[in-house]
Amino acid sequence: MKIEITKEWCLRMAHLEGDAEIGAGVLAFDPILHEDALPVADTLDESGIVFGRFVQLMRRNRGLTIEKLAEDSDVEIAELLEIEDDAHHKPQNRTVYQLANYFKVPHRNLLQVAGLTAPRDSRILEEGVRFAARLEPVAELSPEERAALEAFVAVIGSE
Amino acid sequence: MTVTVSPIALFNVEQGISVDAELWDAITEKQLADWEAEWNMELLLALQRLNRAGVERKHWPQSRHWNWRKKTECLQKMLAYPCFSIMCDGMTQGMMIVDTPSKRCRIECQKGKNLVYIEYIENAPWNRKELLFDPPRYRGIGSILIFAAIMLSKEEGFKGRIGLHSLPQANNFYANSCGMTDLGSDPNYQGLHYFEMTEQQAVAFITKGGQL
Repeated sequence: MKIEITKEWCLRMAHLEGDAEIGAGVLAFDPILHEDALPVADTLDESGIVFGRFVQLMRRNRGLTIEKLAEDSDVEIAELLEIEDDAHHKPQNRTVYQLANYFKVPHRNLLQVAGLTAPRDSRILEEGVRFAARLEPVAELSPEERAALEAFVAVIGSE
Repeated sequence: MTVTVSPIALFNVEQGISVDAELWDAITEKQLADWEAEWNMELLLALQRLNRAGVERKHWPQSRHWNWRKKTECLQKMLAYPCFSIMCDGMTQGMMIVDTPSKRCRIECQKGKNLVYIEYIENAPWNRKELLFDPPRYRGIGSILIFAAIMLSKEEGFKGRIGLHSLPQANNFYANSCGMTDLGSDPNYQGLHYFEMTEQQAVAFITKGGQL
């Protein structure tokens, strides 16, 4: 199909378009959503927040970059980014096992924190929410954050 | 596959000049290869930049999980539909896939009539400022692809009527630059807003650029 379109029209419209974003259609998502992905407006998962904060602070407490943690714990960088930054993200079981091994906390408790198993100890999630609520996502780990982290590690570290 | 190439122009932002480009009425293996090998890599690097710049994840492109394979499969399945792509500097700059037989208009004044429905339209990552390409490489891709959809609609006898579901960050483009009617969030399309263009709006859009 031949389409007649003048250069003047193209340039005038390019000017009007500016830097506007143009993506349309579900396929234009970057990349397409899994069928099982939660919609944007879905409820925020408390366990996602707690687990994400926990992983981030454990990493920062060790002075690790995401790349280094990924390498040392044998977890995909993309998955770590999702865990730390997306409260909707549901980590894979294997990832939680790997991180539990690396951080030396019980698998079972960390699976609960990650929301992958039904809570057997409600204290863990309650403490986790309290822990997450006390933190600010700042670049450096403050003494308060470190204290909060250590207190929470003590809770989930108890069998 | 027979491909018809129409000459167009894009605006090179960095150099401030127009450059010759091509509008193809197809997506071929070349465009798919560019998408897989170039677009995806640039998008990942862009996400890394956003992350390192401290941009909150909620402001990143709508990503939840990475599944290029599935997207590739979906794209390939849709190549039976009419497709358009924009080429410049030997590289794919934008792509669009449309559906002509199965969708109908929703605006009251043209309800039930045929239209060209844009299933998918996307700009190359390096043309997207939101991915921290500053400046983006080329401007004009969206308008030219919408122009192509309108022309296809006319050729099909649909008088320029088109429709699409816009990604949230592109709502402004379709409402204001294109002058389409926003029919609101569509729960059947992951809450994306459905936009539709009437015959009159198509004329206004084309006239805006000085061509009828």
